[in-house]
Amino acid sequence: MSDTHSDKVALLRLYEEKRANLVRVFAARLNSRAEAEDLVQDLFIRISGLEILEPIDNPSALLHRIGSNLMLDRLRSQKRSGARDTDWRDVNTTVLAGQEVADQPPADDVVNSRQRLQALVKAVEDLPEKTQQAFRLHKLEGLSHAETARRMNISVSTVEKHISSALKTLTRRLR
Amino acid sequence: MSRSAQYLQEAADWLTRLQRSDVGEADWLAFDAWLEEPGAREAYDAVQAVDEEIFERGAVLRGALTEPRRVVGKRPFSVDWRWLSGLGATAAAAAIALTLAPWGELLPQPDTLYSTAKGESRAIQLADGSRIDLNTDSNLSVRLEDDARRVTIHDGQALFDVAHDERRPFVITVGDETVRVLGTKFDVRRRDGRLAVTVLRGSVEVSTEGEGKAVRLRPGQMLEHVDGAGAPVVRVVSTEDQVSWRSGRLVYRDQTLGRIVSDLNHYFERPLRLESASTANLRFSGVLIVDGQDAMVRRLTSLMPISATPTDDSILLRERPSTAK
Repeated sequence: MSDTHSDKVALLRLYEEKRANLVRVFAARLNSRAEAEDLVQDLFIRISGLEILEPIDNPSALLHRIGSNLMLDRLRSQKRSGARDTDWRDVNTTVLAGQEVADQPPADDVVNSRQRLQALVKAVEDLPEKTQQAFRLHKLEGLSHAETARRMNISVSTVEKHISSALKTLTRRLR
Repeated sequence: MSRSAQYLQEAADWLTRLQRSDVGEADWLAFDAWLEEPGAREAYDAVQAVDEEIFERGAVLRGALTEPRRVVGKRPFSVDWRWLSGLGATAAAAAIALTLAPWGELLPQPDTLYSTAKGESRAIQLADGSRIDLNTDSNLSVRLEDDARRVTIHDGQALFDVAHDERRPFVITVGDETVRVLGTKFDVRRRDGRLAVTVLRGSVEVSTEGEGKAVRLRPGQMLEHVDGAGAPVVRVVSTEDQVSWRSGRLVYRDQTLGRIVSDLNHYFERPLRLESASTANLRFSGVLIVDGQDAMVRRLTSLMPISATPTDDSILLRERPSTAK
């Protein structure tokens, strides 16, 4: 039916319209804008290859469902590979500024990167005690909001307030 | 609170809400509405960038924040530390980051062979942080040495996401070709005496044995070379198409049926055969979803002027007589 065709057109149009915001949504949990971009590309391939057999009642819900599934796949593989296995690599990269490949930072960037790390450390140390504790348990020790709440014996919403307040402060100081 | 500080706070609230494990469509729609406010996108992007940086540098940051407790002589697992030596000032931070994470089990043995059966694919996580996605019917071996990380692709296709480590270049040998990288993402395909290398991020050098000059590839470029033929050909391609196999899709733009059949024969035990050279030269553009062989053949016969006849040990594809078009 041509209805399904126009449904597909509507779905693709919604995707185009929401693409940038979708990247923002997925970047939050993937902790990576680049990976969120990849995901949104995958999402496009997925929906453009979709065989639409029935009318789509709610294209936004469909887009969200497919996107969420792709995100969960990626989160699973991130977990498998050790969520934070990138950071020591980053240290190597910045310290050993090389000459062979174009994507390597010049020496200035190495210094900047080190200074930035120091600024980040200082900014975290300056956070109020409870805020710092919640921030460190969640962002650095990898506990979920709920686990952090149990550990600190406070509510989940209070944990979220601390973390959100920490993020705001760090962004203001580092941007 | 100033207006911009207020936006930063709202943006941080949103990011935190979107990071809940039970975030759903309702959150997404509300977030979408909030982003319409002036200044919202900019504030969110700034907060997200800082959050990403914290995530990326989490272990280093954690090491710098805790007391400088050096775990020496009591390692939870064995790592070859030699390549870490001489790193300079932040080596200590790197060492702490390493010691705190239990990646010991992930260290592969020297010369590990990885392979996939027809229809199978697998993700390989290497101890250096690199990742390899292996496509169907492929095999390669990996050896992590002190001065180099070596991969030999015997046959098949793989997508590499290589951890940057200048001290140990990542060197891939494919036939008489060598692909040399330092930290980047790219796809290598080796089938039937043909090599194709597609770069998604960073840059990659491809050199042929006995020839001095290496070819440097940039993102979006694909190099193709046929064994024994002259110089490789480099062209610009859609990288999305080249790695669509990861999401169970094969994307073709004006591709011959011969190549498509050769691809499909790596997924299924029962071979597809082509009746004639002219059938093999029929062209196809479109997306094929990789599911069952019968379903895929059925779709091909509806999309192309061909018919399929099962025989004892294969499926024969032949061109339909060109009746009124």
